[in-house]
Amino acid sequence: MTQPIITTEGKRAYPPRMSDFTKPFWDGVATGSFRTTRCDACQRPSFPPKPICPHCWSDQVTWIDLSGRGRLYSATVVHAGPAVFAQDLPYRVGIVDLDEGLRIATRVLDETRLDQAVELVVLAYDDGPLYAARGISG
Amino acid sequence: MTSNKVSILGGAALPVGKLQGLSDAGTQHLEHEVLAKLIVEALADAGLEKEDVGSMILTLPRPYTQQKYFATFMANYMRLPCDGLVMEVMGNGMTPALTFQTAVDQVRLGRTKVALALGINFETGTPAPEHMMSSMRATGDVDFHVPFGFTPISWYAMDAVRYIHEHNSSREDLAMVAVKNRAHAMHNPIAQFRKPMTLDDVLAQRPIVEPLGLFEVPGRGDGAVCLVIADEDVAKETGKPYVNVRGEGFYHEGAHQISEVPNDMIAFEAAQQAGAKAMAGAGIGPDDLDLAEVYAPCTIVEVLVAEALGLCPVGQGARQAASGDTSIGGRIPICTSGGLLSRGHPAYVTALYSYFEVLEQLRGRGAERQVTDAELGLVCTELGNYNAAMVHILEAVA
Repeated sequence: MTQPIITTEGKRAYPPRMSDFTKPFWDGVATGSFRTTRCDACQRPSFPPKPICPHCWSDQVTWIDLSGRGRLYSATVVHAGPAVFAQDLPYRVGIVDLDEGLRIATRVLDETRLDQAVELVVLAYDDGPLYAARGISG
Repeated sequence: MTSNKVSILGGAALPVGKLQGLSDAGTQHLEHEVLAKLIVEALADAGLEKEDVGSMILTLPRPYTQQKYFATFMANYMRLPCDGLVMEVMGNGMTPALTFQTAVDQVRLGRTKVALALGINFETGTPAPEHMMSSMRATGDVDFHVPFGFTPISWYAMDAVRYIHEHNSSREDLAMVAVKNRAHAMHNPIAQFRKPMTLDDVLAQRPIVEPLGLFEVPGRGDGAVCLVIADEDVAKETGKPYVNVRGEGFYHEGAHQISEVPNDMIAFEAAQQAGAKAMAGAGIGPDDLDLAEVYAPCTIVEVLVAEALGLCPVGQGARQAASGDTSIGGRIPICTSGGLLSRGHPAYVTALYSYFEVLEQLRGRGAERQVTDAELGLVCTELGNYNAAMVHILEAVA
């Protein structure tokens, strides 16, 4: 499943680091696909992707595609933030429960209410991608 | 025959306020000078001498404190040889509780008869947006949370939003916690914020992390505390009133800010588990407590931890602040010091103020904020979004 890509001016305020292991995740985000790792032994997915399954500590994991859809569990609007985010204030962040049974935290681009359906979108900055959630209309 | 119990025998605390930075005269407060006075004051309060102290457990100072390796520097500054342990402890908001626990363990293990649990937190010389550049990295995954702009208290704000959603509560309900705590702080001479405050005052403040405004989140402050921890045999010999550690519990849920497996985020499982363990160890239930001093940086956090510890029914914590249940004179007074919102929140020493408050209450030294016949008190601290909790049950010994 491919997610919408929104071209976003400027650079990311606080760019995430990337390891050899997490590079497939960020490369995927850049092209609109969300992936994570699932344990070959216990079959449970993780987020963020990890080389060791946090549940059974197996080191046999496989990349899987995520639907990029879920529900908004909670959210807040930040009015006082760290110096690097000053130009974004105020901004909304939230917690999303993905359909695959994973909880993530990200930006929220609109006023979607709690427990309503959201999709992940790619924010394509000049220096690389981030992702965010927005409500699914209809 | 020894009792094998560990006691808090004395303490001293600096009024919370803004101390860091240059004065008009070009001078400044130096951390070691401030702390030195408290050490002397705390030992006098305990009725002990310098030579009695065998361990000095300090909270790690903020990075803004110029003097590094502060613990060993203080051992030098006080010329205090120790045959137990001298060390600094770090655990973010739980730092002071871990410091306290380490001092208790020192005595329990027999490494020393008397240990100091102490620390100083100076940070107000650094503006909040700069300070948050560091604190945001301690309260989120640097690569998968921080890039989106989460701040330490944004997680608590999301607790509030979820709580209001699930329990048909409101910002106004939650804000009564701030009003209640201010009423307590008005009678606490070491509290940072002591002016009278109404619900309207709270609601009129500018938003910080919605729905929470300026008076529903902690102000920043500098502070310092020294507690004297001793073997009960030493405490008994002094002939002074003291407090025993009767129960303790710790739990880390194995998650940082959020659980990747969706859970009930506002159940505060760590506080439930640590509280149950501490109360079981003490052989008591929540109804036996006379007061509780909980680590609650925002209004919502006090509500959730009170519910997790069984001090208030789930969904009723906010309303019980409004009804007076958690006020001094009420069913179970919470944060008689004024809590983090009004007593103040010099984060790396905040919980030492909590133990100090319960020590004062259990020794009958709460003055105008004294809880009548207080015999059993609880202290609860946390880290993250209550992903871990540490609970102590303290008991008065006349």
